[in-house]
Amino acid sequence: MPGDPTLSLFPRDPKYEGLAQYNRALFGLDKSPWEQFVIYLQRTVTLDWGTSYRLGEPVINVLAGDLAWTLLLVGTSTIFTILIGMLVGSYAAWRRGKPFDITSTGIGIFLYGMPIFWLGLMLQATLGNPRFHPFSWWPVYPTNLYYDDTLGPWRWDGAHIWSTLVHLILPAMTLALGSLAGVSLVMRSSLIDTMTEDFVVTARAKGLSERQVLLRHIFPNGLPPMVSLIALDLAFIIGGAYQVEVVFGYRGIGYRTIQAIDDLDYPLLQFIIVIGGVAIVLANLVSDFILLRLDPRIKIA
Amino acid sequence: MATIDVARRRAPASLLAASLAVTARRLGEVWAEIRRSPTALVGLGILIFFVAIALFAPLLAHYPPLARVSESCNPICPGSPPSSQFPLGTSSRNADIYSEVIWGTQISLFVGILSAIVASVVGTTVGLISGFAGGWIDEVVMRFNDIVLSIPWLVLMIIVAALIGTIDVAGLILVIGLTGWSLTARVIRAQVLSVKERMFVERARMIGSSNLHLLWRHIFPNAFPLIFANTILTVAVSILSESVLAFLGLSTPDHVSWGKIISEAYENHAILNGNALWIVVPGLCIVVLVFGFYLFGYALDEILNPRLRRR
Amino acid sequence: MSLPLLEVRDLVVEFATRRGTVHAVGGASFELEEGESLGLAGESGCGKTTTALSLMRLLPQNGRIVSGSIRFQGRDLATAAEASLRRVRWRQISIVFQGAMNSLNPVHRIGKQIMEPILQHEHVEPKEARARATELLELVGLPARRIDEFPHEFSGGMRQRVMIAMALACRPKLVIADEPVTALDVMIQAQILDLLERLQRELGLSMIFISHDLSVLAETCDHVAIMYAGKMMELGRTVDVFTDPKHPYTQGLVGAFPDVRGPRVMPASIPGLVPSLISPPSGCVFHPRCKFAFDRCARAEPALSEISGDRRTACFLYPEVTEVPQRPLEATTP
Repeated sequence: MPGDPTLSLFPRDPKYEGLAQYNRALFGLDKSPWEQFVIYLQRTVTLDWGTSYRLGEPVINVLAGDLAWTLLLVGTSTIFTILIGMLVGSYAAWRRGKPFDITSTGIGIFLYGMPIFWLGLMLQATLGNPRFHPFSWWPVYPTNLYYDDTLGPWRWDGAHIWSTLVHLILPAMTLALGSLAGVSLVMRSSLIDTMTEDFVVTARAKGLSERQVLLRHIFPNGLPPMVSLIALDLAFIIGGAYQVEVVFGYRGIGYRTIQAIDDLDYPLLQFIIVIGGVAIVLANLVSDFILLRLDPRIKIA
Repeated sequence: MATIDVARRRAPASLLAASLAVTARRLGEVWAEIRRSPTALVGLGILIFFVAIALFAPLLAHYPPLARVSESCNPICPGSPPSSQFPLGTSSRNADIYSEVIWGTQISLFVGILSAIVASVVGTTVGLISGFAGGWIDEVVMRFNDIVLSIPWLVLMIIVAALIGTIDVAGLILVIGLTGWSLTARVIRAQVLSVKERMFVERARMIGSSNLHLLWRHIFPNAFPLIFANTILTVAVSILSESVLAFLGLSTPDHVSWGKIISEAYENHAILNGNALWIVVPGLCIVVLVFGFYLFGYALDEILNPRLRRR
Repeated sequence: MSLPLLEVRDLVVEFATRRGTVHAVGGASFELEEGESLGLAGESGCGKTTTALSLMRLLPQNGRIVSGSIRFQGRDLATAAEASLRRVRWRQISIVFQGAMNSLNPVHRIGKQIMEPILQHEHVEPKEARARATELLELVGLPARRIDEFPHEFSGGMRQRVMIAMALACRPKLVIADEPVTALDVMIQAQILDLLERLQRELGLSMIFISHDLSVLAETCDHVAIMYAGKMMELGRTVDVFTDPKHPYTQGLVGAFPDVRGPRVMPASIPGLVPSLISPPSGCVFHPRCKFAFDRCARAEPALSEISGDRRTACFLYPEVTEVPQRPLEATTP
């Protein structure tokens, strides 16, 4: 990536250099670093996030819109990822060593190592291509956004919503598949770890059926580590979302980020980073909260 | 006291020999275990396959990297489908895709392995220091680690890339390496902490071993197998990261890598234009190579980690 | 003569591992009458816990009962169907594990865990189950108000008491205690042992007590069986076995315990190491370490045979001891 070598590492420390003079003035960069910092904080809090270099629009407008779409994508696919991943992982752990386990784990490792953008391309080529696929209504080529252009600007009506859903299928599927492997593998290993604990033997000794042991004892203990690992995984999921958006031309934050890099659109980039960080922190908080409810051993430190 | 000092000064050579002997024996055991595990063997096989391709690239490729096949078609050439002369067809720049894929192996492996080493070295050092020092150093480092882990890795990579400035191969390696260290550091630190707790460290300290000695002879050997298995998995991640960066156009402009090939293919609507292999083959290469690393790393982890063994 | 409560004959248990087949138990035989207690003694890894787990068929995935019978109240548990076995578990036979650190589910309250087997096996209202759980807690000397707390809120000794309470929940006939006091400090040990003794008397329980600590067994058990490398070496009344050990291994074990009243000398230990259970020695499994060994000991395996009224031992020093018929596989080894 050609361009300016200095970009803020942490949003707390803005030091812009090497930009054109008029830009400096425009963006207040000619003031001292301290002043910049103060202004920065002030602006962040008041949601005055500056103006995107390229689009000339206030950053916040641009990002707010994109964020919604990205959230939609990540949200739907994550729901599937978690549900299916947990199911697959659990069943594989239960039937450990049996065919289902071996195949699903093998496929899991295979998928886990697949670059998401490539997966997207493959799905696009097969399912999105009218030549291959019987259902010709997966429209997925890049020019299609989150809904059909021809329908006009966004409105909360049936046509738009339907179009959105349909356009969402392939990208969400790609993202879900890519992350599913991770979740199911982690779930499986966490459950297997739990299965060898002593209290499981106790439970069996009490005369409980295998199923009861699984549901009452193994699951509640196997779940907590998985929750925290998923939260950690979120960073990767977001990375995947970026790729999916680029491949499918889905105009969300990821797409915008790549564009911004190309254009060296710093204000945009800077706040994208902030959003990313905030999102992860939030996700970790949520997962901590969930953990607190699941595991009585954890107390608020 | 004097006698102990003398003993210690005289010992190093034989100590080294002794520890080498122990290591050799352990390696032998590990190798036997590897041979017994189908997972490890398949993974290793895949790795050897690709490493061989990378090493013999000049012999295997038909054309040197980035070379155009003929000058008759300039930049905006649509590329032609596979034929007997060009097994995978030609790209839009009129380069032989097959050769590109072969050369790409070199870059992917090179960048992948080196950046994994960077990440491992940094991560291990940080983990060792943090775990060993404890106290506020540990706290600070761990907070930092958390922050790094929190930022979506792609964004992080972009930041670091911007900081470093140019993206040449070295830069790329640094970028990926410097973003991948956090997990390793965490893992190593945990290991250090658990080893630190053990009695024999207390005893060693009691007979006056210096901290460095402690680190080298007790903590490191225990952590090393873990580091090794972890590194292999890190390589897999690095290769993936490199391909993503390449695809998004953030990679080195003057080397061919698989991600790059795919990105080109994508921009030129390869599939629509009839050369599906253009996209499929490099992608498969990535997938299979990463799969190989995962298999091997996973199997190795199981072998080297005694706790997992009992299951 | 009435049928013994439990009768185990020639139990053989194996584990399939990466390194080979582990012969964990190689032909254990013993009986237990109602109301009596039997101790299973031996070093770590000698097969005591495996034997106990086998009684309830609680072996891990890679373990299996190769042959032998386990007759509980006349029924062979070794071949019983899983479903009927589940009805026996805890209702008739329950178990107290060693190191109750992890034997209790960390995310369930202890009251719930005690109630669980009651609700599982008997058709009672939760309220009644809870009342019984409270009673049990008091029986083992724990304050009943702590019924809704979690395992990690208790100390080691208290957790062990919870496990004992839990084991008695369905009023079983037989309780197996696997190293119940090993992980506890001496004072607590004494308390728990007293508790177990008292409960056994008051409730008329039969017990199998597993420990590597002979002094514990000497205190609590009527009969004791000594195990080594998966085989039973000696079996008899505790008093007799410890005052007049017949088998060289037992002699070594007893000799290794310093006598409080005796001269202050270092007790003699048994030279050598425990053999590998994947490739055990031929013939008598103890012969490599036995100072009385002669060549018959390496060729043939002594069977646990009766040498006097209540005493059985597996050593060729005693003429009454017969040989174990060689299995065809073993006959091929030179």
